[in-house]
Amino acid sequence: MIAPKSAEILLVEDDPQDVELTLRALKKAKLFNPIHVARDGEEALDYLFCEGAHSERRASDEPSLVLLDLKLPKVDGLSVRRRIKGDGRTREIPVVVLTSSGEQSDVVSSYSLGVNSYIVKPVNFERFYEAVREIGLYWLLLNQPPKPGP
Amino acid sequence: MQIQEHGQQAQVDEDLRASLRETAELRIALDEHAIVAITDPRGKITYVNDRFCSISKYSREELLGQDHRIINSGHHPKAFFKDLWTTIIDGRVWRGEIRNRAKDGTHYWVATTIVPFLDDQGRPHQFVAIRTDITEAKRAGAAAAHLAALVESSDDAIVGKDLLGIVTSWNRAAENLFGYGAKEMVGQPITRVIPADRRDEEARILGAIGRGETVRNFETVRQRKDGSLIDVSVTISAVRDHAGRIVGASKVVRDITERKKAEATIRQLNASLELRVEERTAQLAAANRELEAFSYSVSHDLRAPLRAADGFSQALLEDFGPLLPEEARRYLRTIRISTQRMGALIDDLLAFSRLSRLEVSRQMVDQGELIEAVLDELGRPWKDRSIDITLGKLPSSSCDPALLRQVWLNLVGNALKYTRKRERAEIEIGCLRTGGVDAFFVRDNGAGFDMRYAEKLFGVFQRMHRAEDYEGMGIGLAIVRRIVDRHGGRVWAEAAVDRGATFFFTLEGGAPA
Repeated sequence: MIAPKSAEILLVEDDPQDVELTLRALKKAKLFNPIHVARDGEEALDYLFCEGAHSERRASDEPSLVLLDLKLPKVDGLSVRRRIKGDGRTREIPVVVLTSSGEQSDVVSSYSLGVNSYIVKPVNFERFYEAVREIGLYWLLLNQPPKPGP
Repeated sequence: MQIQEHGQQAQVDEDLRASLRETAELRIALDEHAIVAITDPRGKITYVNDRFCSISKYSREELLGQDHRIINSGHHPKAFFKDLWTTIIDGRVWRGEIRNRAKDGTHYWVATTIVPFLDDQGRPHQFVAIRTDITEAKRAGAAAAHLAALVESSDDAIVGKDLLGIVTSWNRAAENLFGYGAKEMVGQPITRVIPADRRDEEARILGAIGRGETVRNFETVRQRKDGSLIDVSVTISAVRDHAGRIVGASKVVRDITERKKAEATIRQLNASLELRVEERTAQLAAANRELEAFSYSVSHDLRAPLRAADGFSQALLEDFGPLLPEEARRYLRTIRISTQRMGALIDDLLAFSRLSRLEVSRQMVDQGELIEAVLDELGRPWKDRSIDITLGKLPSSSCDPALLRQVWLNLVGNALKYTRKRERAEIEIGCLRTGGVDAFFVRDNGAGFDMRYAEKLFGVFQRMHRAEDYEGMGIGLAIVRRIVDRHGGRVWAEAAVDRGATFFFTLEGGAPA
């Protein structure tokens, strides 16, 4: 299962342990895509829109998948989601919310913002790994965004 | 001369006859009209006419020789009769009204004239009493006086007026209410007590009265003599003459200023109460939001470290497992089991706290249908166990179906769990009518519990059994109680150690003790 080289994943996560565990789960699922980690909502937006520290980045190299935590410093996950969906450059990028929160209000507001998937991070690592593996498979391999014709 | 004498005698006879005839005729007429009695100077009755007999209901024989005490009603004081006697013995005519008593005990009133006739010495030799029956007139007069007194003593102002709105009567309460005396108002237009901005009311009232209608409890404002305004309730009805023609109106006016004040106070109290309810609701909403934020934070922040503990223990096992002794690997597995259990506890606690924020949306639910679905969900027909389910008839009841499903799941789930060590599990599900309400129950022949701990049973994370014997978090019954509470019902249990347990719940108030 080798994803296209360009299929980059943006992981937006502030908790270093969760970053490490997510990377481990992705690796274990044999998803060897390049991964960029943003540690808060502001950094994620800078990266996506090539601003601030990421003004050098080329906008054509948009990530193929955003794994987004909801509870983030500075700009929270739902605001990041709103910006992604509200901008023509990023609207097509699938966003998967990965969060500890199973609270109903989060679920509802996420779906009302057109979140593509919603995964409550389980305490049990095996189940977390399963969830990450399925998400990766679905959004990176099976659900290829439409490409310009040959 | 003889002839002349004879002629004179004839003339005298003739005159006498005529005079006698005239007297007799007068007497017939008198008897026709009046009650007549004659008494001697000592007061003994010497003559009564038929009318006297018929009104007194005594026969002539019973009356003659008696004095007038025989018909004394006791109504008049002694001085009254003393004055009567003094007058007639003195040779003067006495006039007055006397109340007498007939033989059958009934009373009658007579207007009486007693004329004393004197002898040559100027002493009365007999008294002629002529009386007229005035009982009816007295009665009518008394009734009229009674009515007048009623009107006069009424707490409500009672006012009469003609069809032009001119006041014809004005009782004392009207004087007190409006501040105008009867002398000031009778003959004056009623509009004097109507404030300028309400003068049109009078025309409408008179119109309604003219059509024979009654205006009842019409609440309006009137003006007192001192200019102050009063709240009044007015009832106006037509007054008719003997021929049934409407000749005016009677108006009963009640002062409702106090009532209006009380109503205003009540309105004010209600408004302030509503305001306080609003404030409390806002406080409650704020508290709820705080609780929600708290739960959110708990669900996020308490789970993250657990995930790390579990994830890195697993990483340690995966990456370095072969290097570790078996004992170390067992420790790591124990750490993982504990962290996962902690995660489950947090999830349960959150689910439990969410229950108190959820809206209970009631509808009629067929409990029988619900229990069938719950049994299926719990894995009926339990091929690896021997379980007897006795299902009684369950009525439909008003409840939140999703929440009630949880109640049944927890109670029947418990029954299944705690009968696990029985060779043959017996579970009965039914409903009793007790204390006027339906009490649903789930009975099992399982492990039971000591009733001394029954109070702790429904608390959060309270367990009756050791974790090795029966798994669980101790939250199932707490959830049951909270759901039942939210429905306004009650939940209780009866059990004995090793002899099974029965859990009852109601979905409305008035449960039996």
